[in-house]
Amino acid sequence: MRAFVFTDPALTSRAGQFVWLEMNVDDERNAAHRERLSVEALPTFFVLDPADESVVMRREDGMTVAEMDAFLEEAGRAASGKGSPSPVEAALLRADRLNGERKKAEAAAAYREALDQAPAGWPPYGRAVVALLFLHPSLNEEAKCLALAREALPRLTGSPASVMVARSGLDCALGLAKDDPVRAAAVAEMEAATRRTLTPPGVGAAADDVSTSYLSLIQARKSAGDPAGATKDAEAWAAFLEAQATAAKTPEQRAVFDSHRLSAYMELKQPERAIPMLQQSESDLPGDYNPPARLAVAYLEMKKLDEALAASNRALPKVTGPRRIQVLLKRSDIFAARGDTVAAREALGQALAYAESLPPGQRSERTIQALKKRLEAPPAKPER
Amino acid sequence: MSRHPRIAPALGLLVAGALAAPAAAADIEKALPFVADDYGKALAEARSQKLPLFVEAWAPW
Repeated sequence: MRAFVFTDPALTSRAGQFVWLEMNVDDERNAAHRERLSVEALPTFFVLDPADESVVMRREDGMTVAEMDAFLEEAGRAASGKGSPSPVEAALLRADRLNGERKKAEAAAAYREALDQAPAGWPPYGRAVVALLFLHPSLNEEAKCLALAREALPRLTGSPASVMVARSGLDCALGLAKDDPVRAAAVAEMEAATRRTLTPPGVGAAADDVSTSYLSLIQARKSAGDPAGATKDAEAWAAFLEAQATAAKTPEQRAVFDSHRLSAYMELKQPERAIPMLQQSESDLPGDYNPPARLAVAYLEMKKLDEALAASNRALPKVTGPRRIQVLLKRSDIFAARGDTVAAREALGQALAYAESLPPGQRSERTIQALKKRLEAPPAKPER
Repeated sequence: MSRHPRIAPALGLLVAGALAAPAAAADIEKALPFVADDYGKALAEARSQKLPLFVEAWAPW
């Protein structure tokens, strides 16, 4: 949304109402702030009280221009402390503060309290639902997530938030235990709800929300044992993204869709379809590691190993932060596919050393353990 | 990053959130005067101007 929302002149009037900070969480300078703010999903937006750096408001997930404008309006009022908030507003502010402090269970209870008091047409209703839908799965509360999606969808029909709410319901239904007797019916119900939000897409819904819903639909088809249905959805996903990319006004806007397009093409087992767009992006955005890193992925899938290694060679000098580990892992896969087990292990070792060198906020013990496990495993035989 | 089911980009293991802006998007002409990757500077400005601090946490992937 950086290439779309923050470039929109409709937000210009908000310029003097806040001090604006963009924080790349892959940048080492931001590691401590990422840790303190407990950033767990991207993008995440905060409004902080500068006096004590406390979180006034927090929102995960992308927003449309209209949603961002409403968020800023609400944040401005909350930060000014002017006027006494109503009980429902007070519950929402408390929920945001607790969520900002990553007191997830307490935050979830406060969001629930706010939603229980929400009058019809309450403007922050969708935002509160989205926040709680993020929290429930992180608390292993898939059933509550599903119930909330069911409860909220009728109030959000036709709104941008309906896309995310339906998809979250579907994701949570898919997350229920495989032997849960209600799972199949819940998945079917939420899959249908998700499809309804895409035909046509919820009014003004962000492209990323719509795109992500296609992936959930593909998972649902796979879960139902319907690979043909999954492929059909993947084709629709690719077509949607290609239309978005075609409509983009700048190279930056077009490249925004590269990652999802590559995922869609990989899903279709047609990685070659990604090559022209990634070559274009590499040409348009020469400082960005992403296009060559993605080219390495696509070429590896196509078993064009020389091209994959050359792309990895171009990506590696440009990437720092946690994503460097992913690039090194893919590099190891490329060497392994070439039959060079020594270089494959060397790349894995480099990934581990780099992972261990990252500061708190960027360092992931889970990643380190996974890398150690891979290094301890016997070398994989290359595919012939 | 999030445990919440989200799209898994083809690049790797991390689970991503929304569509990502390219790294070069930092240079995109924005409607808002963002301070880039300098929390201390932004916080000091917010304190001196007595304005709330808006923070966008993002990554170029």
